[in-house]
Amino acid sequence: MSAPASTASLANKFLGAGLAGLALTAVGLFVSDPHGVALSYLIGISYWCAIAIGMLLLIIIHHLTDSGWSTVIRRQYEHGVSAFTWLAVLFVPLLLSAWLKPGFIWPWMDLAHPLHGGHGTVGQDVLYVKKAGFLNQGMFTGMTIGFFVIWIGLSALFRKASFTQDRDGDPKWTSLSRRTAAAGVVLTALSLTFASIYWMKSLEYHWFSTMYGVWFFANCVRGALAFAVFITVWLYARGDYKGIYNTNQFHTLVALAFAFVVFWAYVTFSQYFLIWNANVPEETFWYNIREHGDWLWVGMLLLFGHFFVPFLAWLVYRWKAERRPAFIISAWVAVIILVDICYNVLPALKDAHDEPLPFLSINLLWVLTSVVGVGGICVWSYLRSLATTKLIPIRDPRIVESLTHHEAAAPEPGQVVEGAH
Amino acid sequence: MGAHASDHPVPAILAEVKPAVMPRPVLVANNRDFHWITEKICGLVEGKTPVWWWWCFGAAAFVASFTIAGLIYLVATGVGVWGHANPVNWAWDIVNFVFWIGIGHAGTLISAILCLLRQKWRTSINRPAEAMTIFAVVCAAIFPVFHVGRIWFAVTPGWLFPFPNSNGIWQNFRSPLEWDVFAVSTYGTVSVLFWYVGLIPDLGTLRDRFTAAGNVLKARIYGFFAMGWRGSNRQWSNYEMAYLILAGISTPLVLSVHTIVSFDFAVSLIPGWHTTIFPPYFVAGAIFSGFGMVLTLMLPLRAVYRLDDLITQYHIDCMCKIILATGTMVGYAYSMEFFIAWYGANPYEGFAFINRAFGHYAWAYWIMISCNVITPQFFWFKAVRNNTTLVWILCLFVNVGMWFERFVIIVTSLARDFLPSSWGYYSPSIVEIFTFFGTFGVFSVLFLLFIRFLPIMPMSEIKMVIPAADPHGSTKH
Amino acid sequence: MNKTYGIIAAFDTTPEIYQACEKVRDAGYTQWDALTPFPVHGLDYAMGLRRSKVPRFSLAGGITGFTVGMGFIAWLGLSEYPLVVGGKPMFSPMFAFPVSYELTILFTAFATIGGMFFLNRLPMHYHPVMKAPQFVRAMDDRFYIVIETNDPKFNATATRDLLVKIGGKDIAELEA
Repeated sequence: MSAPASTASLANKFLGAGLAGLALTAVGLFVSDPHGVALSYLIGISYWCAIAIGMLLLIIIHHLTDSGWSTVIRRQYEHGVSAFTWLAVLFVPLLLSAWLKPGFIWPWMDLAHPLHGGHGTVGQDVLYVKKAGFLNQGMFTGMTIGFFVIWIGLSALFRKASFTQDRDGDPKWTSLSRRTAAAGVVLTALSLTFASIYWMKSLEYHWFSTMYGVWFFANCVRGALAFAVFITVWLYARGDYKGIYNTNQFHTLVALAFAFVVFWAYVTFSQYFLIWNANVPEETFWYNIREHGDWLWVGMLLLFGHFFVPFLAWLVYRWKAERRPAFIISAWVAVIILVDICYNVLPALKDAHDEPLPFLSINLLWVLTSVVGVGGICVWSYLRSLATTKLIPIRDPRIVESLTHHEAAAPEPGQVVEGAH
Repeated sequence: MGAHASDHPVPAILAEVKPAVMPRPVLVANNRDFHWITEKICGLVEGKTPVWWWWCFGAAAFVASFTIAGLIYLVATGVGVWGHANPVNWAWDIVNFVFWIGIGHAGTLISAILCLLRQKWRTSINRPAEAMTIFAVVCAAIFPVFHVGRIWFAVTPGWLFPFPNSNGIWQNFRSPLEWDVFAVSTYGTVSVLFWYVGLIPDLGTLRDRFTAAGNVLKARIYGFFAMGWRGSNRQWSNYEMAYLILAGISTPLVLSVHTIVSFDFAVSLIPGWHTTIFPPYFVAGAIFSGFGMVLTLMLPLRAVYRLDDLITQYHIDCMCKIILATGTMVGYAYSMEFFIAWYGANPYEGFAFINRAFGHYAWAYWIMISCNVITPQFFWFKAVRNNTTLVWILCLFVNVGMWFERFVIIVTSLARDFLPSSWGYYSPSIVEIFTFFGTFGVFSVLFLLFIRFLPIMPMSEIKMVIPAADPHGSTKH
Repeated sequence: MNKTYGIIAAFDTTPEIYQACEKVRDAGYTQWDALTPFPVHGLDYAMGLRRSKVPRFSLAGGITGFTVGMGFIAWLGLSEYPLVVGGKPMFSPMFAFPVSYELTILFTAFATIGGMFFLNRLPMHYHPVMKAPQFVRAMDDRFYIVIETNDPKFNATATRDLLVKIGGKDIAELEA
C-alpha cells in the first residue's frame, strides 16, 4: 500500500517551511539581539520536544493500561515520535553554544557572568556554588544526550514492534511493547523532568519548585493530544479516516484532552498557590518578575486561555464530539502551550535594571521562526513516516475493539457536522 | 490508503484487519449468568448470619471500645492526655487523620476515576471500596474533631462552619484548616451520596426478592431506601447520566481533598513541609495506601465468601499494578523533594531532609522508604501477583508504610525546625496509642455491618460487563 | 375490573430486548418503557430517547456553589468581618478558592442527584408494574417492555399483536 502522492509533496512543503524557518532564525542571530534569538530557538525546540514526549507518553499509557479505543490513533503517535531524531540534531547548536559560548543561554555556565546589583559573579554566588555539581556543562551535555537516547530508543522500540506486527501478526510484539512501556514510563518521567529543569528552570537558577516536572508533563500530554486532534481531523478531511474513526472515538480523544486541561490547571494552580501563600522571597521572585510589565497579562492569558476557555468550551458535549469546534479549541490550546513555554523562558531576558524585557517584542518573531523551523522538520518527519506504513495497526490484538468503540449509537463525525473541514 | 475511502462506505483497509489473538481477561469467571450473580450477592444478605461474623463483630467491637474509652477520657480530662508538647503540637492526631482520609481515597478512585476511564474491572470492587471510603472518613474525622479538646465547640454551629454567633466572630478563610473543614465534610457527604445512588438499583432487587419471599418487614425497609426503583430504561437513562456526572465531580473532589490536606502543611514555611509537589504527591500516596487497604479487605472477603468468580486474578493483578504505579510515583516525589531540597540550596530545607534520613527519626524514615518504595516493586513480578497470601502481606506493609510517611512528614519537621533551642522529641502517650488502635475496630464494625446487611457488590454493574449484556451479541440464552 | 395500565411482555436476552425496542420505537409508540436489570448499552438509542437532561441541573448547582463560596468569603472579608491575618489581603480569590471549589462540588452533587430524582419521579413507592408477579425477575435476569394504555397509538389487540410479533413472551395486562 502506498500513500497518496499528496503526502509526499506536502512533506516537501513542510521541509521547505522548516528549513526557511531555521534559516530565518539563523539570520536573526545577526540582525537582532542574539540572546533573545537563542532563547526563542530554545522555546521552539522545547515546544516540539514537549509534543513528541507527549506522544511517547500516550503510547506508553496505551500499552500500560491495555487500552482498546486508542489503538487506531496510536499509529499516528508512532509516526509523530519519529521526530526525536531530528530534534536531537536540531538541539546540537544549543549544545555547541554551551561549550563555545558558555553563559550565552544559561547564565550559570559562565562563572564570570556578573550578577545583578554588583553582587559579584556566578562563580562567587553561594547559591550557584551549592548547585555546581548539577549545574555544569558536562552534566548538562551528558544528561541532554541521555534524554535523547532514551526518547529515540523508546520510540524506535515501539515503532519496530508495532510496524512489524502489521506484517507478522505476532501477539508477542504487544507483550514486548507492554514491557517496554513499563520500563519506559520511569525513564520518560525522569528524563522529561530533568530536561525541563535543565533547559528551562535553570535559566533562573535561583528558583526551585518540586512541581516543575509535573507541570512540563501536563503540557507535553496536552500538546500531543492537540496534535492528535489535528491529525484526526486532517486524516478525516483527506478521506482516510472515513469509515474508520467514529464520533465516539473522537469524543473519547477530546475527553482525554479535557481531563488534561483540568490536570494542567491543578498542577499550575497548586504551584502558584503554594508560593503565593507561603510568600517566601526565594520563591516569589520568580512570579514577581512575571507580574512585571506586560507579563502580568501573559499570566492572565494563561489562567484564562490555558484553563477557562478550553475547560468551559469542552463542558459542552457537542464541542467534544464534533470536529470543527474540537479542532478550533485544540488549535487554541496548541498556541497557548507555546505561550506557557514563553512565560517560563523569556522573562530570563533582562534589561539593564534587571527587569524582564517585555513579552511583546521582536523576540516573538524569532519564536515564530523557530517554531516554524523546528516544527516544519518535525511534521516532515511525521509525514515521511506516515507514508511507510498502514494507516492503522491492522494486526493489533485490540484493533477491532478500537474500530467498533461504542459502535451501537455512533454515527461518523461527518454525520454530526456535514462538511467540517 | 490506496483507494480513496470517501467514495466507499467501507474503507479498503478494513478488509486487511486481522487482529492477533490476545483475548482480554474475563471479568466474571466460569461464564456465570445474570441469575447466578443475583443469587450469589443477594444470598449473602438473605442467608443466616455466619458464626464467624459474630466472632469478628465481637472482636471488632472490643477493639473499637479502646477508641471510645480513649475519647471519653480525653473529653473528661483535656487534650493534655495526648503526647503533644512543644514543638510537636501536631502529632498522631493529624498523622492518623491523614492516614485514614488517604485510605478512603482509593474507594473514590475506583468508583469515579476508573469509571471515567471505562475500566470495567472496577465493577466487582467498587461497592466495598466506596464503603471503605465512608468508614475511613468516619475514622479520620474523629481526630481533628477531638483534637480541639473542648469537643462541644466542634459541633456547635459557628465554630467550624460559618454561622452567625453571638460574639460576631467568623472563621478565618485564609487558614488551610478551615479549607479542610469544607473539603472533608464535602468529601464525606458526596461519598455517601455517590454510594447511595449506586445502591438504589440493588436495593430494588432486594426489595423485590423479599416481597416475593413474603418478608414484608425487610421488603419495606429495603423498599424505602430503593425509592421505588423499577429499572425502567427511562430511569436508567437519567440514572446513568447522574452517575457519570457524580463520577466526573468526584474525581476532582478526591484530588482536591488530599490536595487541601497537603495544603495544611505546604502553605506553611516549615522546612520539609513547604514544597510545591505536595498536592499530587499526597494524592498519589493516598491512592497507594487506599489500594493497599482495598486488597487487605477484599482478599479475606473473597476467600470467606468464595467470590473467586467475581474477584478474579485479573482484578488482583490490576490492583497490584496500581499499587506499583502509585508507589513509584510516591518514590518519584520523595526523590524530587530530596533533590530540590539540595538544589534549592536553602540550609534549613537541606537539613530537614538530611535529618529525616539520618536524624533521631531515621528509623521511621527507613520504614517508610522500605514499605512505600521497595515493597511495591515486588509487584513487577507476575509470580508475586499470583500469590494471594504474599499480595496480602505486601499490602499490610503498604498500610504501615503510608502511616509512617505521614509520621515522618509531620513529626520530623516539627521536632527539628529553625531554632535548635526549641528542638524536641515526641513520643505518643498510651491514650493516643489506644485511641488510634481502636479506630481499626470502629472501621471493622462498620465494615462488618456493611457486608452483612447490604449487597457487597453492585449487581447491576457486574451484569453489565458479562458477555450476555452485549446487545449485539448472540441471542442464545 | 380495574382500569388497565398497559401491556407487559418479557424477553430473555439482551439482543432480543434491544431489537424489540427498536421495533416498538419504529412503530411510533411514545408512552412505553423497557424494564431491565441493568442499563443496557445503547438502549437509549434503540428506544429513541434523547440525551438526559440531568447535566443542566448539575451545571446550575455548580455555578450556584461557586458563586456562594466566592460571594460569601468576599462579603465576610470586605464588609462583615474585615481582619488582617498573616499579612494577606482582606479578600483574594486565591485563598477563597479551596472553599468555593468544595462548595461547587457539593452543590453539583446535590443538584445532580436532586435532578435525577426529579426527572425519574422518585421516590415512587407504588407503580403498576410492581404489582405484576413477573416483576421480581425484572431486577434479576429478565427484560420487559411495557406499553401504556394512554399511548395515542395504543390498541389492545394491535399492540398485543406487535409484542407477539417482536418476540415478547408471557404477555399480560397490568392493572393500574
